[in-house]
Amino acid sequence: MVLANIGHDLNAASKGRFVLGIGSQIRAHITKRFSMPWSDPAMRMREYILAMRAIWACWHKGEPLAFTGKYYTHALMTPFFTPTNNEYGAPRVFLAAVGPMMTEVAGEVADGVIIHAFSTEKYLRETTLPALERGFAKAGKSRKDFEISYPVFVCTGRDEKELEAAKIATKKQIAFYGSTPAYKPVLDSIGVGEAQPELNKLSKQGRWDEMGHVITDDIMHAFAVVGEPASIAGQIKSRYGDVIDRTSAAYASLPVEDRRKMIAALTAA
Amino acid sequence: MKVDAGIGNDLHKIPATARELETFGYDGIRTAEMNHDPFFPLMLAAEHTEKVDLITGIAVAFARSPMILANISHDLNAFSKGRFTLGLGSQIKPHITKRFSMQWGAPAAQMRELVLAMRAIWANWYSGAPLQFVGKFYTHTLMTPAFTPENTSYGAPKVVLAAVGTHMTEVAGEVADGMIIHPFSNLSYIESVTLPAIERGLAKAGKTRDQFEISYSCFVVTGRDEAEFEASKKAAKERIAFYGSTPAYKGVLDAIGAGDLQGTLNQMSKQARWQEMGTLIGDDLLNAFGVMGEPKDIAPQMLARYGKFVDRTSASFPVSDADERRKIIATLRAG
Repeated sequence: MVLANIGHDLNAASKGRFVLGIGSQIRAHITKRFSMPWSDPAMRMREYILAMRAIWACWHKGEPLAFTGKYYTHALMTPFFTPTNNEYGAPRVFLAAVGPMMTEVAGEVADGVIIHAFSTEKYLRETTLPALERGFAKAGKSRKDFEISYPVFVCTGRDEKELEAAKIATKKQIAFYGSTPAYKPVLDSIGVGEAQPELNKLSKQGRWDEMGHVITDDIMHAFAVVGEPASIAGQIKSRYGDVIDRTSAAYASLPVEDRRKMIAALTAA
Repeated sequence: MKVDAGIGNDLHKIPATARELETFGYDGIRTAEMNHDPFFPLMLAAEHTEKVDLITGIAVAFARSPMILANISHDLNAFSKGRFTLGLGSQIKPHITKRFSMQWGAPAAQMRELVLAMRAIWANWYSGAPLQFVGKFYTHTLMTPAFTPENTSYGAPKVVLAAVGTHMTEVAGEVADGMIIHPFSNLSYIESVTLPAIERGLAKAGKTRDQFEISYSCFVVTGRDEAEFEASKKAAKERIAFYGSTPAYKGVLDAIGAGDLQGTLNQMSKQARWQEMGTLIGDDLLNAFGVMGEPKDIAPQMLARYGKFVDRTSASFPVSDADERRKIIATLRAG
């Protein structure tokens, strides 16, 4: 209800530009940081989004609010608590997902998916897309009703020295994510699943620098587009252009001019 | 007496309205949580004002995790350079469980724990105290540097509680920095129930009354002419009838010997007979819940009745003449 309200308010204030992107976090953070309940994350998330849609249908279309699920109950709404500035309706809802179950839920009940930066092209095409398609089929939606967002690791630099530094940083970041047990299937997708337990072990010993060395150039190339600034947009488009609708790839270290060129090249269809 | 103004919830109008209210002479700006988020307007107001206090009056506490509340109010207090006050209220059980789909325990005990949980979180963020809060309703034992705010120069916001019953009022005295007395209150209830409960709470925490701010916004019926006066009277009666239909508030009606009315109002509310309910509130009853008269008499009446225990008010003055409103506010602030 609180998220439905915030989402409504920001969408109305921005005249329909708000996208509510949500993610589950992990059990320890939900229960021990937020003091909130955790169970069956994909199923709970599905219900969470459907609950918001029921609330918005009540506010925006006058449907009775009678949502009784396994995890959430929303069965009370009065005119006093109903927003009246409805002309922009509900915001779009994007869901962050890694595993196939959460991805399928995104395809079924969300308007878009935010794919984790820790993904490979192979994982994207062989695991993520089929899971989304299963979700679309359940809801009778088609791919064009849905937006796929993928941040893409970018490893670039204006000269050899900058590029080498960027490679080390990228490898460390890949290693950091790779230490998470839940993400092992992503490493499996390129046949290097055995690196996961090794990374996990090193992370527990705080050996962050060494973890980067576990990531070979081949692994790095599977996760990141690597090269001089002028080549990046082309690489992203040829690898992912037929799959993704938007990106938040980071290249903040580059001069404004290079960044502007890169963005122009990406947004030009 | 400090005087606050309510600000609406149309985010497009907030910047201009906030500037106007500050210029008009108000001490604070308040939002309520009804059909919109109560924090967004205050964020915009913070950006467009310099001095006024920014207060939620109130946000629904049990609709949110203490961590979310701690985070939002940290951000608003930092952004407004220390001007934010988190005003919280419990709402009632059906709204928490059936509207918000959240947990409802023993409300006063749960509220006490919620405030203490936020204080534990803030102590972790501001003083580096380990986060080890394990209560009956809330558990907060995990915090990492990535999730710790770094802009801590203004520290924790003030927390005030809205309360009606004795338990909640005592909790306010004990763990909050102030209390918002419900507008549905009368002098005899405040003097016999509210103030003694606050004193008990303060005593538990070893605090004194001057460390605690009491806010009360009585009903005000006035107008520049007969028509305006009558319209404001009708609106006040309907509002009192609406509050009076809530079973938990029966004690307030009991204090002035009108407890019988509660059952009738409750029944009518279930049939949505809101306007008709207002006609059951007589002038005597109305007079017990606030002040009534010409604009010039409003501030003196309020000061005489409530001045000795009220530190701030957000009473609204339903007179369309801005000069009259300005005079009322100036008199209250001087009193």
